Amino acid sequence: MLEGILEILIKTVVILGIPLGALPIIIHVERRGAGFIQRRLGPNRVGPFGLLQPLADVAKFMFKEEVHPTHVRPFFYSLAPLVALTVALLPLACIPIMAPLEISGRTIYPEVFRSDMGIFYAFAVSALGSYGILLGGWASNNKFSMLGALRACAQMVSYELSLSTSIVAMIFLYGTNDIHVMVTAQTGYWFGFLPKWGFFIQPLAAMLFLVGIFAESNRLPFDLAEGESEIVAGYHLEYSSMKFAIFFMAEYIHMIALSALFIILFFGGYSILPGLDMIPQSPIITPILQMGSLTIKIAMMIWFFVWVRWTLPRFRYDQLMDIGWQRLLPLGIINLIATVLITYFRNQ
Amino acid sequence: MFSDILLTIITMAFALMVVFSKKTVVSALALLMTMLSIAMIYFQLGTVFLAAIQVLVNAGAIAILFVFVMMLINLEQFENNREKGKVKLVISVLAILVIMGVFALIINNNIEVLTANNIPDNSMKLLFDKLFSVYYLPFEMATVLLLAAIVACIVITGHEKAHKVELEESHE
Repeated sequence: MLEGILEILIKTVVILGIPLGALPIIIHVERRGAGFIQRRLGPNRVGPFGLLQPLADVAKFMFKEEVHPTHVRPFFYSLAPLVALTVALLPLACIPIMAPLEISGRTIYPEVFRSDMGIFYAFAVSALGSYGILLGGWASNNKFSMLGALRACAQMVSYELSLSTSIVAMIFLYGTNDIHVMVTAQTGYWFGFLPKWGFFIQPLAAMLFLVGIFAESNRLPFDLAEGESEIVAGYHLEYSSMKFAIFFMAEYIHMIALSALFIILFFGGYSILPGLDMIPQSPIITPILQMGSLTIKIAMMIWFFVWVRWTLPRFRYDQLMDIGWQRLLPLGIINLIATVLITYFRNQ
Repeated sequence: MFSDILLTIITMAFALMVVFSKKTVVSALALLMTMLSIAMIYFQLGTVFLAAIQVLVNAGAIAILFVFVMMLINLEQFENNREKGKVKLVISVLAILVIMGVFALIINNNIEVLTANNIPDNSMKLLFDKLFSVYYLPFEMATVLLLAAIVACIVITGHEKAHKVELEESHE
């Protein structure tokens, strides 16, 4: 009993610690990446290569005066950032960072919440992501905030549809909801060189999912929630200092969690990257290689996010809705029906 | 056992809050919390699939529409404009009758109640085996009922719209 509680505690600390610890690095990469793409330097003054800039930012956020506007709804105003961060952290609970370990006859699963419905759980809790934003916008009691929150919410609900069609297609393909089985199915090679990743079977679903991630995490080109040319800063307009920083963190963690889901479904999760599997395997080296592979994959996804952010301009709101409902959703449904039919006839 | 009682109390508290809260947005948020607590009860029983579906559909999609609309039209100005007197009494009595009827059905027919002990591992397969065989008719009837509700919504609002257009035209 005590052992079980200890195990869950350790796992929780590790699973929550990695993304929270990686946040400053990601934010640094984002800002330096922006500088790199726009042919300027970016923050490079604090520490070597400006690496200590995120720490300076955190210190600034901590010590900044917290402006608490008088016209807000106080309880919900304070609650909203917490809701946003908690909900963003929830999907991480079922994301495995390596294969189950066999230690002295006991199987230890690397995820906090072990279930054969892992992918369903992650998707279900990430669907709650819009509540923090909606609550923040409404509690701010400000027209710009409210508009930003409503936009964000409508956008998330719309893009969740095409996202879910692609997830269901992948569940049909693998015939399971268990993340470990999905990853095992993607280990190995076709023709000796092409990794058995879901991306190569279902490129359309992968594309739908990718667009869905951008919309769900409110990143450019879908960051209508904070379109500063129209509605100032959107839902976090009235928030300052640490409360604003928590919203910011929630957005990045949501991004990490959705990237991890994308990698599990389409890029083989923790399965070892081609090239790295030349290294001789052993019970100690394999988990490290798996963690390394997952980290590299997520890092590449994050770089992709940064790249897109500073490359594409923002969509107009009607264009956003057109893309979501008239282009992506029909594509997703066609893809789903085709996948179901093919799976059915193949299993006959 | 303790956690069961705690969860039940939390669920009931939020459900009562939906009914008795004076602010509509708070009611909608309490509805969301009720949905999430019910998901927690499913989870406690070991049916992760049902819990996930509850979160995904009821908390993630349906409750968000309620919250969205409540926040959008800002009902605070109509706060005191609730059903009063006789209507409220009739609705309360009807609701209590329905609840008692459901309880009577469950007790009389000895419907097998799932507890944490008798749920098999593959709860998803069990659920759909039952849903598409024994409970197929109620399942289909529920979809027809939803369709009827959607059509009713369109008819009611469409009628109002046509009426408004007529009024506007007569003003001109």
